[in-house]
Amino acid sequence: MSETQAAAPLPGKGPESSPSTPRVGAAERESTARRFINAVGVDNLSLILALIAIVAVVVWLQPLFLSWQNLMNSLSQSIVIVGLLAVGETVVIVAGMLDISVGSIASVASVTAASAIVAGAIALPEGLQLPIPFTEGSMLAGILVGIGTGVLLGAVNGLIVTKLNVNPIIATLGTLAAFAGLAFLVAPEGKPVGVVTQPDFTWLATGRVLPDLPLPELGGRGWTGIPILFLIFIGVAVVFHVLMKYTDFGRAVYAIGGNATAARLAGINLTRMRIGMYMLCGATAGLAGVLLTARTTSGNPINGVGFELQAITAVFLGGAATTGGKGTIVGTVLAVLLVGVLNNGMNLLGVGTFYQRVALGVLLIAAVALAQWRQARAERARTRTATA
Amino acid sequence: MTLIAPTEAAPLAPRGAGGALEIRGVSKAFPNVQALDDVSLDVRPGEILAFLGENGAGKSTLLKILNGDYQPDTGTLSMDGQQLRFANPREARAAGIRVIYQEPEIIPGVDVAENIYAGELPRRGFFIDRRALNQMVDRELAEYGFERVLPRRRMGDELSSAQRQLVEIMRAVKSSQMRVLALDEPTSSLTDEEVDRLFALVRRLRSEGVAIIYVSHRLHEILQLADRVAILRDGRLVMVADAAGLTEDVIVRNMVGRDLGEVFDRRRATTDRVVLQVEDIRSDWHRGVSFDVRAGEIVGFAGLIGAGRTELAKVIFGELPMSSGRILVDGREVHISQPSTAIGQGIGFAPEDRKREGLVLIRSVLENTTMAIIRRLTRFRIVQRRMERRIASEYVARLNVRTPSLEQEVGKLSGGNQQKVVLARWLAAKPKVLILDEPTRGIDVGAKAEIYRLIDELANAGLAIMFISSDLPEILGMSDRIYVMQGGRITGELPGPGTTERQVLELAMHEHLAAHRASQQMATAERESR
Repeated sequence: MSETQAAAPLPGKGPESSPSTPRVGAAERESTARRFINAVGVDNLSLILALIAIVAVVVWLQPLFLSWQNLMNSLSQSIVIVGLLAVGETVVIVAGMLDISVGSIASVASVTAASAIVAGAIALPEGLQLPIPFTEGSMLAGILVGIGTGVLLGAVNGLIVTKLNVNPIIATLGTLAAFAGLAFLVAPEGKPVGVVTQPDFTWLATGRVLPDLPLPELGGRGWTGIPILFLIFIGVAVVFHVLMKYTDFGRAVYAIGGNATAARLAGINLTRMRIGMYMLCGATAGLAGVLLTARTTSGNPINGVGFELQAITAVFLGGAATTGGKGTIVGTVLAVLLVGVLNNGMNLLGVGTFYQRVALGVLLIAAVALAQWRQARAERARTRTATA
Repeated sequence: MTLIAPTEAAPLAPRGAGGALEIRGVSKAFPNVQALDDVSLDVRPGEILAFLGENGAGKSTLLKILNGDYQPDTGTLSMDGQQLRFANPREARAAGIRVIYQEPEIIPGVDVAENIYAGELPRRGFFIDRRALNQMVDRELAEYGFERVLPRRRMGDELSSAQRQLVEIMRAVKSSQMRVLALDEPTSSLTDEEVDRLFALVRRLRSEGVAIIYVSHRLHEILQLADRVAILRDGRLVMVADAAGLTEDVIVRNMVGRDLGEVFDRRRATTDRVVLQVEDIRSDWHRGVSFDVRAGEIVGFAGLIGAGRTELAKVIFGELPMSSGRILVDGREVHISQPSTAIGQGIGFAPEDRKREGLVLIRSVLENTTMAIIRRLTRFRIVQRRMERRIASEYVARLNVRTPSLEQEVGKLSGGNQQKVVLARWLAAKPKVLILDEPTRGIDVGAKAEIYRLIDELANAGLAIMFISSDLPEILGMSDRIYVMQGGRITGELPGPGTTERQVLELAMHEHLAAHRASQQMATAERESR
């Protein structure tokens, strides 16, 4: 029995307990560089380096990249839509699921938002109308209708995944097709709804903030201000960053993705959480649809087609694990920038669309392969230390 | 129903009889556990040798060494004067040793015939020779009398666990080089008819000169079947004797009979206030279970694996469905549909499999510790980090979790420390009832003692504790009262102090005994009437 006693020091007694108690104040003693790396994260640091490298290559090949015109219009606009979708997608992927239907949701939202603003009603098949009062001509109402559409369709995804127990990939592959069709069904006679007559609304895409900053010319063009679109994206990203990192909701997302059974046994309501996450992801897709409408001045049922691939690529590139439980909004945003610069760079260099698609596909696979490799390495490290 | 007596036909292939399998001075240690300690034993051709011992006595480790899953630290295996060293199960098989575990590998998408001959299917050109395969399998199944219990065409994923074992046994017996066959609790999931067939098969293999190792918890079975009995306790071989002349009494005394009482200090004053009351729970796993746990009381749940104890915990916690019955907390009936409701009612549950069910291994000690109470640590849904860290470090220190920091991934801690994190989570949640399922499984002796002390402290602080364990000395030492379960039912209630392992084992196994005797009487009667 004396063996047993010796192997088990009482809490707070004996020399063993002092090095073993957690060093709560450790962070303060670390160097500034170390703190910076910790704040950004090691994985994100490599993303930043990759981003710098790609920007350098693009600038070297095409100096026009660094012009206000390009940075503030082409680049920022292409980032915003993918970015919004990717931010919502991050939540779902970190929870160990997937949503392939976000592009289609954006298409539906694009049409419903445009219809609400232009006609105060959404067209339904067979000539029926769903009136939505007080929305005609109102920018805010348009935004709300678009987001509402996204939330609703996200709830459909969530219900299919949780209540019907359909694998998320299959479920949202199905709704990707179904919602794409729905987008045409809610468009009057399947035709786009023009919003050119709504300058209040299209201001979302054309508006600029701080147009008068005394900044030097860049690439032969003067400073024109920061696009409203871009600010909306940054705002949403910040909200989601806070949500994922600082709230109990975010904790639950990571717990579910890391080990759903353990999460449930710790009192997390999986069904409710999963439906909620799909609704959130739908909300960002809906907002993306609204902004697409403003940018193209048309509530077009094909507005969102193809964006899901870029969004999902960005999330995995941003460090999310395919099995869930890992991934950050900061990483996703950095990866969105990376994908955006790559697309923009290829456009400026005159690389053909078909090549761009191949490049995007390769990037997705490379991102996931990289994530898998990182995971395997972490797994090895874990088993090594756990058995030591 | 008529039972067909197994045919006494000639064996499919002659089995070469040779020398015994000699196990000499085999030891095997795992971190902090001496699983086997200098075990020497002969397994002779043409005999059935029973391995007995409690959970954790070292039976499985010995089987795994024979199967080539583990290599002994010291000691040797040899046959016919030749020393054997297996790097993997394939090498053990090549030497003629076959170990059949409780959960054999079955290919789900193919039928019984292909499963039996997996890897050595008869071929004609590029194609499987289905006709030859079917003929071989039909002949073999008929030979051993399994043609009705194991339909040749049944797909792998449609097989019961008993049928899976029979497939694995068929895989083994069709090999003419098999010299040693080890069966790990083969009857735990078999029906009586299947048991009869299996016994006939085992006896027949014995007559063919195969050395058979038979692991079982069912004493009557052993006495019926075995020629010799070897008993392991704490990794040591404590008895080897001829089965003839042995009684269940002697066996049980040798299986148990150690005193760990000093680890446990029981200085509690239990109250009369019933905190958890369970009335007549029925479910897929339970046939009417009723019990109660009082404030400040540790109530042990003993029983064999499969008795329904873990499932009982999960039904109470809302993780498994209950078909009828009532659960009362502090005298009020509660309706628990999912774990979050159970937690809301003041119930905590530390599951048996901490890696799969207890912890999110890739997240930090901090997040795992506060997982069940995180909502209470928020203001406007924002987690109050300072408060969270203070609470987490308080419990991490109180449980003496050895971790470099609160940010450490839980998966990187040792087993004992992981278990302490699970307990820290439930302590932080301040429940009224705490259900602990095998809280000391797979952790070292030092950590065990700490956990015992902690459970004692909790009970002294007034918590009602439901303590599920398969470790008899532990459950006897810790519990104020013990419920013994078997087959989804409580078969007895014993006081903690003064109860012997013997009493618990009898309650845990008595129904097997009774049922088996009854079925045997029936079978005999039918045979006679025929």
